[in-house]
Amino acid sequence: MKWFIFCIATIFTFNAHAAEDNFAFETPAQRAQFLSLTAELRCPMCQNQNIADSDAMIAHDMRRKVYTLLKQGKSEQEVIDYMKARYGDFVHYQPPVTPATMWLWAAPVLFVIIAFIFIIRRRPNSQPEDMAAKLAKADKMLEQERE
Amino acid sequence: MKKAPLVIIPLLLFSLLVVFLFKGLFSDPRELDSQANGKPVPAFSLPDLMQPDITYTAESLKGRVTLLNVWGVWCVTCAVEMPYLTALKEQQNVNIVGLYFDQDLDPDFGTKTLSRVQQEVTDMLARYGNPYAFNIFDVYRDTSLDLGVTGAPEHFLIDANGIIRMHHIGDINERVWTNKVGPMYKKLVEESQAEKVAAI
Repeated sequence: MKWFIFCIATIFTFNAHAAEDNFAFETPAQRAQFLSLTAELRCPMCQNQNIADSDAMIAHDMRRKVYTLLKQGKSEQEVIDYMKARYGDFVHYQPPVTPATMWLWAAPVLFVIIAFIFIIRRRPNSQPEDMAAKLAKADKMLEQERE
Repeated sequence: MKKAPLVIIPLLLFSLLVVFLFKGLFSDPRELDSQANGKPVPAFSLPDLMQPDITYTAESLKGRVTLLNVWGVWCVTCAVEMPYLTALKEQQNVNIVGLYFDQDLDPDFGTKTLSRVQQEVTDMLARYGNPYAFNIFDVYRDTSLDLGVTGAPEHFLIDANGIIRMHHIGDINERVWTNKVGPMYKKLVEESQAEKVAAI
């Protein structure tokens, strides 16, 4: 139970941190949009953080830009496209499906399929034969030793 | 010997993995494919850093091949490359324009005055040399964002028609100039001269 409370508390402190910039929103929906956008946009400077977590100047500026764009009534997709036009696909944590990135989805599926084929093809019927042959061989060796 | 091909599979997978990881050792995660390449300089209207009554627009960068240098006094690497840039300007007559932005100057809470920024810039240029034809002051850092700047120093090679032809992240030193930026610069200069000749 203590752990549970601790985890919940951690989640809430994280949220408080993300919102430290003090942006004022007209509607709760807009605020939710802002939080989700800053969580899924990636900071180009400190590369493994989203712009909500990062304290780099560029992340500050991007948060401010997201805020301004939302205030102007832009949709989430429009904000994402705006950032992509400047920083490339890199800036969004959800990569687009292109010939190069297709493998991210295809590779695990292919792996499972190939593994399945492999398992099915490895029929167990070869085993008894082998065992019989081995036994025969062992018997032969025993007999040889006896002689 | 029917099983031989199966034994090769793990070996093959392993060698593929080794090749993949080995390549990864030498890849630079900072190298992003810049979106600015091949596009015209985004529209802006910004003041001169030293004389705020002068306003520059994207048009101000046309007519000559320009090396746009994004910098600030707070940036250590910028100070390191400054003497080299100054040498480039003096020896090869490279047209270097600064796009200056300040880190402490928060657009929402103006804590730092313009005169203080100017004083810091004057001090720094006096110490390391002044490579700039002029400095554009990106007050709200909007233009940097439009250019896809991630930090400082960054450089843009802009041809005489105002099209961005190269985006270089990081400093310019002798090695970078000889191998990467310099050849492109010379190519652009030749292009613009050819165009001028054709116009006559």
